[in-house]
Amino acid sequence: MIVANGKPLEEIIAAVKDRQKILVAGCNECVTVCEVGGTKEVGILASALRLHFLNQGIKAEVGETTLQRQCDREYLVQARETVEPYDIVVSIACGVGCQFMAEEFSTQPVVPGVDTMFMGGALERGVWSERCQGCGTCLLAKTGGICPVSRCAKRVLNGPCGGSTKGKCEISKDVDCAWQLIIDRLKALGRLDDYETLMPIKDWSTDRAGGPRKRIKEEVAS
Amino acid sequence: MSFAQKLADGQFVTLAELEPPKGVDVIAFVGHAQRVKGKVDAVVVPEMANAVMKISSLGGCMLLANKGLETVMQVCCRDRNRLALQADLLAAAALGITNLMAVEGDPPSYGDHHKARPVYDLNNQELMQAIAKLASGKDMAGVELEGTPHFTVGTTLNTGALGAVQQELAQLDQNLDAGAQYFITPPVFDLDQLAAFTKHLGDRQIKLIPNVLLLKSVGMARAIGRHLKHVHMPDELIERVKNAPDRVRECVQIAVELIEGIKAAGYSGVMISPLGWEDRLPHILGA
Repeated sequence: MIVANGKPLEEIIAAVKDRQKILVAGCNECVTVCEVGGTKEVGILASALRLHFLNQGIKAEVGETTLQRQCDREYLVQARETVEPYDIVVSIACGVGCQFMAEEFSTQPVVPGVDTMFMGGALERGVWSERCQGCGTCLLAKTGGICPVSRCAKRVLNGPCGGSTKGKCEISKDVDCAWQLIIDRLKALGRLDDYETLMPIKDWSTDRAGGPRKRIKEEVAS
Repeated sequence: MSFAQKLADGQFVTLAELEPPKGVDVIAFVGHAQRVKGKVDAVVVPEMANAVMKISSLGGCMLLANKGLETVMQVCCRDRNRLALQADLLAAAALGITNLMAVEGDPPSYGDHHKARPVYDLNNQELMQAIAKLASGKDMAGVELEGTPHFTVGTTLNTGALGAVQQELAQLDQNLDAGAQYFITPPVFDLDQLAAFTKHLGDRQIKLIPNVLLLKSVGMARAIGRHLKHVHMPDELIERVKNAPDRVRECVQIAVELIEGIKAAGYSGVMISPLGWEDRLPHILGA
């Protein structure tokens, strides 16, 4: 899933000040799962904004809505009647949802209420960890299912580097050395021979080197 | 008189852009530069123009500085993060290279190493702010420097920005705020179009250095007109080359006339890009 983190309330207040009708828009997908942008969080943020305006003696209306997916035009079109009466939308979907919202409602300001961080998963309740950077050329088959691009601080493809100590990365004792994990995993799979094979220098053209990316599935694209 | 002094004095400056080689045979590069010594105020050494890997601008500048030539080093956002940029700027200043031209750099997909990971840690304005910060005696982290570098900093101005003049002017103002002291244009083939752009400058007193790129053929002229949106290529110019009995001589003559026109119009200087016709540069400069 895409993992995000809530922006400080002060930043959101600064972005919506001088607006009378504010809509907080959540998303039922990733940001709901990572507990930052679902219906529950829409309610919490809307309440916080109402309290702020009340304390300041400002008359403002704060609405709430949660779309099935903000990154999907189909749902954005359905939300038109809900969205249009408002002066500004605070999107607490990921950066993709926020942008699709802004593109769909081109004359309405749309501001983000979260900082989108990474693609990852939950390690435990309330703890999410990065697993993928979308580099466009997946190496997991070679590395025992552990990604050196997203999990090694240096993105080393033939690790570990000299900064690996007792399974931890030199940048923090809280960060596992991805290459220690890879070696342990390859050992468990009986594939340590693979570790001996040098990986070629990575082609970053499928990452952002080639500019913004687009995927086209010919058979379904119109 | 140095490039910086002439620029400050309002005297016309002549720059030549010379590409360093891809490889370590620098005989031609240094030779071309030596042949224009005394005829140009400084040699601009591009930093891997079009994202094609070759000797770095700093290296090229040092090679020419060793032969007594003044140089302009290009500093490029594409390949270096803020650590590397500042480190090279300090190195350049310590080695006596203090004329800079800040550029953003074409993405790697334009060049010959399209698998490279681009950096773009800083954008062009931020790079110039970083240069100004170094010149104030501190680095970007606010740490005091042992010895303060002094630079003459220029950058580009897209005078061919036909439909986006306001955006270009906004960027120009940001660049001026960031400390840009001179501006180099894209290749100019139509001085009227350039003059039309400068009318938008209002009361901004900027030092503008138009770029004269040597045409080589009708095909090149057509390709520029067709593919470079920010370069205006008059049809008459293409016809002129096409109908000339000696096309090479005509191309050189066009460059000479453009340079004369730029001088006469009162611009701050000219940058000539021979791009493969370096051997004709002394003739053009001597004309």
